[in-house]
Amino acid sequence: MKLTPDVLELDWSETAEKIKRFIRDYVVKSGAKGIVLGLSGGIDSCSTAALSALAIGGKNVLALMLPEKETYNAQDIKHAEIVVEKFGLRREKIDITPALKAFYNSIPVFDPEDNLCKGNIKARTRMIYIYYYANKFGMLVCGSSDKSEAMMGYFTKWGDMAADLSPIMDLYKTQVRKLARYIGIPKEIVTKPSSPALWPGQVAEEELGISYELLDLILHGLEHFMKTKEIANQLGIKKDVVEKVKKRWLYAEHKRRMPLTTKIEYRTVGADFRLPRSIY
Amino acid sequence: MKESFKIALAQLSCKRADKKKNFEKMENLITKAAEQNAELIIFPELSLTGYVVRDEIYNLAETIPGPSTKAMEHLAKKAGLYVIFGMPELSEKAKATIYNSAVLVGPEGFIGKYRKMYLPTHSVFEEKRYFRPGYEAVALNTKLGKLGLMICYDIFFPEVSRLTRLKGAMLIVCISASPAVRKAFFEALTVARAMENAAFLAYVNLVGIEDGLQFWGGSRLVGPNGKILAQAKYDDEDLVMCDVNYSDIKPVETFAPTLKDLRPELFDALKKSAEHL
Repeated sequence: MKLTPDVLELDWSETAEKIKRFIRDYVVKSGAKGIVLGLSGGIDSCSTAALSALAIGGKNVLALMLPEKETYNAQDIKHAEIVVEKFGLRREKIDITPALKAFYNSIPVFDPEDNLCKGNIKARTRMIYIYYYANKFGMLVCGSSDKSEAMMGYFTKWGDMAADLSPIMDLYKTQVRKLARYIGIPKEIVTKPSSPALWPGQVAEEELGISYELLDLILHGLEHFMKTKEIANQLGIKKDVVEKVKKRWLYAEHKRRMPLTTKIEYRTVGADFRLPRSIY
Repeated sequence: MKESFKIALAQLSCKRADKKKNFEKMENLITKAAEQNAELIIFPELSLTGYVVRDEIYNLAETIPGPSTKAMEHLAKKAGLYVIFGMPELSEKAKATIYNSAVLVGPEGFIGKYRKMYLPTHSVFEEKRYFRPGYEAVALNTKLGKLGLMICYDIFFPEVSRLTRLKGAMLIVCISASPAVRKAFFEALTVARAMENAAFLAYVNLVGIEDGLQFWGGSRLVGPNGKILAQAKYDDEDLVMCDVNYSDIKPVETFAPTLKDLRPELFDALKKSAEHL
């Protein structure tokens, strides 16, 4: 296989149809009243919100904008509003700063300098808000994680990955960008640098230490069982870079699975209880 | 034996692990097909239960003949047509040994069954975990001639359809539960299997979404010359009526005489080579 950007090309019309069909089918069969999702104004949540609206109608999609003081970004809010307007979504904006402060103040060992631990509180707090609306109004939580993030474990465990369905999780970030353009997400949202916005100035590609264009090709190679050496040779990069990505991908498997238990009884959750997911 | 007749390709989605609902759906389609003078209706692989049922298969499997095939026999008699459908078959001699089977019933009652020989256990498929493979290709006698049966991944292996053809099948039926990523394979292989055997090939695929797998439909009847005589919708349920006319076989069999030119001695070599891959 030749690792060129072409390998990530898909028929975007067909891909959009598949995703919309998947969302519609899941909502209808589950009997849910709609979808609720966190809308940050970033490419992933904007695309997921738009696809949800195209699938089941914007009035059945509730976008929760959950900004907080430390990472407040007026441009992101503006982008979220553009998508709300364009795709006819219902929206609610809630400042989660007071809730975060309550957590910070009540954790005896809280360390304000530890960005990662603090940032995870933000992602998990947003999850609580989103699930509250889902429970209260009989809606499904729709996740916005993409395949690059999912493979790299670049998400908060039980935070932003927590969802009932995750429609774009089999598309790499660069593929999401193309799909986003296809479904009419404005260029300014598609081209801005991605950020989980867990702390001020956080930029995904800087933190990951690699551009998504390169990362996605490495991940595509790993997905197709290519050897790290071959990937490095083809992409003209050091083998160490590929090794590092591979290591991170494998290490993060614990974040993508049910919690591990040890086998004691006849059939075990997460191991050999092999049940169909929600029989509808 | 009839030389020409109408068949119905019944491309449906299933309610998983709900035999009653799926049976009712099939009953409605059988009535519709009979009204349009079809003499054979074909449903997809595991159409009685849905495809992704995992451990529930142990609660769903039945012997063949058994309650579901008896009920289907009754419908076939009432409607006066042949019915092919898929279901998990429980062995009569064991308590949890299951086959992925295709069943043929008709106006004369239960006719026969085929147990899938090639069980995909790779990618998203886990059939060998649940099913025992069959050991025999079948071509079953009907008033519509001999019908060859195969199931989904069997079509990747030319020997299955070839065996049904050598047993006398002129219409080879492949019931399927194929998710979208494999469309290109099936669209090529359905044509190839028809042409290389100078036979009609009816392919009936599932639609609907089960555990994120989107079954793509695209059921079709392929003529012995490879021409697609009928094609169902992609991704949506459909009931397609089409005509089989065995007189189309002779011109193909003379033009590309693959059966006349078969070289049995090569199969011994093939067997030896396949043992040492």
